[in-house]
Amino acid sequence: MNDQHLAVRGASKRFGTASVLDDLSLAVARGEFVSLLGPSGCGKTTLLRCIAGLLRLDAGSIAVAGRDISALPAHRRNVGVVFQNYALFPHLTVAQNIGFGLRAQGVRAAEAAPRIAEALALVRMAEFADRPVTALSGGQQQRVAVARALVVRPTLLLLDEPFSALDRKLRETMQVELKHLLREVGITAIFVTHDQEEALVVSDRIAVMNAGRIEQLADPATLYQRPASLYVLDFVGQSMRLGGTVSAAGLGEVTVETRLGTVRAPGAFAPGSRVVVAVRPEAVTLTETPPGGRNTLAARVSEVSFLGSRTQLHLDLPAGEDRGVVELPRLPPGIGPGSAVPLAFPIADTMVFPAA
Amino acid sequence: MKRDPLGLLALPGVGYLALVFLAPLLLLLWSSVRGPEGWTLDGYVRLLGDPYYRGVIAASLQLALITTGGALLLGYPAAFALARARGGWQVVLFALIFLPLTVSIIVKSFGWGIVLRRDGILNWALLNLGLIERPVRMIFTEGALYAGMINVFLPFMVLPIFAVVRMLDPRLPDAAATLGASPWFSFRRVTLPLSLPGVVAGVSLVFSLSVAAYVTPSLLMGDRYMTMSMVMAKAFLNLRDWQLGAAMAAVLLAMALAVVVGAAALQRRLGGR
Repeated sequence: MNDQHLAVRGASKRFGTASVLDDLSLAVARGEFVSLLGPSGCGKTTLLRCIAGLLRLDAGSIAVAGRDISALPAHRRNVGVVFQNYALFPHLTVAQNIGFGLRAQGVRAAEAAPRIAEALALVRMAEFADRPVTALSGGQQQRVAVARALVVRPTLLLLDEPFSALDRKLRETMQVELKHLLREVGITAIFVTHDQEEALVVSDRIAVMNAGRIEQLADPATLYQRPASLYVLDFVGQSMRLGGTVSAAGLGEVTVETRLGTVRAPGAFAPGSRVVVAVRPEAVTLTETPPGGRNTLAARVSEVSFLGSRTQLHLDLPAGEDRGVVELPRLPPGIGPGSAVPLAFPIADTMVFPAA
Repeated sequence: MKRDPLGLLALPGVGYLALVFLAPLLLLLWSSVRGPEGWTLDGYVRLLGDPYYRGVIAASLQLALITTGGALLLGYPAAFALARARGGWQVVLFALIFLPLTVSIIVKSFGWGIVLRRDGILNWALLNLGLIERPVRMIFTEGALYAGMINVFLPFMVLPIFAVVRMLDPRLPDAAATLGASPWFSFRRVTLPLSLPGVVAGVSLVFSLSVAAYVTPSLLMGDRYMTMSMVMAKAFLNLRDWQLGAAMAAVLLAMALAVVVGAAALQRRLGGR
């Protein structure tokens, strides 16, 4: 692919005996937003620091716009970073923070001033130019951090959990605002996050990371609807998942015996295989006489959670590999903890994975 | 009506300081301008008009400046090493830098004497290494005095700088680097200004302590090298010249105050950039 702007190839990094990045490769197109999503310790922040030049890879290479930057120190890479908690310079004003990179790169004051003003306007902080950064709110600090990183015109912007310091309401606003702003600037951006909802909101594609590797790299819809593994299924969104054994297979479909009944799903597994079948919560309806092409199961409700726009039913399943979450737009009358419910979901939406 | 009764908790401490520190200090200043015939500046005239005493003041000032400068040069990087060290290393470095504080200043200065004597450890080592052919005079030289003074006062420089540097966000230099700042630019514009409060505290502390030094200079230099404190002691105890001693004390106090106030002002100017 010629259009790739960032190319990480065979990246490996160890801390002592622990392998944090394990022969990882990643290609990002120009102008694309990619999230590195995973739990803490999966290597996502290490990968970000390696791309920024704050850490050196043990093996592998990193190229931006076709140029190998693996050997360059951070201050020669021109890769912008928005740090978690922003790392603003506490002894400088808003304008001085934004102008720091220009000054460091020897841009003359006469040329820097209009660029600082432009960056201030871009993040709507012009009237705060001479305030100390310590007097700003979390959202304002984030805007300054973004402006500070963008004003030096980096080839790539890395954002390390940029929303984690904000409260929920503000976070949702800033996610959309930042996505819009970066799109306007036309920059290529990599977000590091452990929050799957955030990843779904801000990214064109999401790389789900697990133990120093990328488990799946796909657009949000594919990731959600066609997760490549149980790990991705569990990390992105919720699901009803049931362990079982394949009883019959053929014509691209398997039949699986589970604790709650027989389930058919598209897939290819030999009879006798231990598998896990799964379905996303919103694919499930409560009907005893569904139209054709659906699986039907009987289950018991253990808990009901009202979430506003939808209601979640938690099914009564023994602890272990089985997990049961079903979502309904509206709770039918007479259903509560203890109710027996008939579940129906399309065979086409049923996923099957090898048991872990 | 008292708004904050907790403020009363400061009273015993303030009262104690007023009694044992402020009152004698005022008394001292009073006796520097009070002669048998009433108000007089005679003590100051005798002190500042005499080339010998002016020499003592200059020598004390020079000693304090060199000690402070030396301690800053050695202590600043040491404070960073201490702040960045992990686990066991930090304990070891901490012990190396602060254990000397637990040794009395007299023992320490006496120790320097043993090391630097004509038949001392350093001369013995240099002789055996073949670097010198006959013992070198080290003790009672100014070089030895500076080395001893810096040794005694170094912890007072390291501790305040360490306290400030320890709290610095390690991601600030990272952020500077990603913005294109070279390590030197990043140090000059980020680390140094943010560590200044520690430097100001350390410089103030070491200067005020070393300009008033008494024990270390007298043990390492003997009687031929007079500091302001030694002149004060002589004036009070030998000459019974209270006016002269008190005037010297006032000059000493003024010098220490000038450095403390000046350093704080300098920090405010540099920190505001």
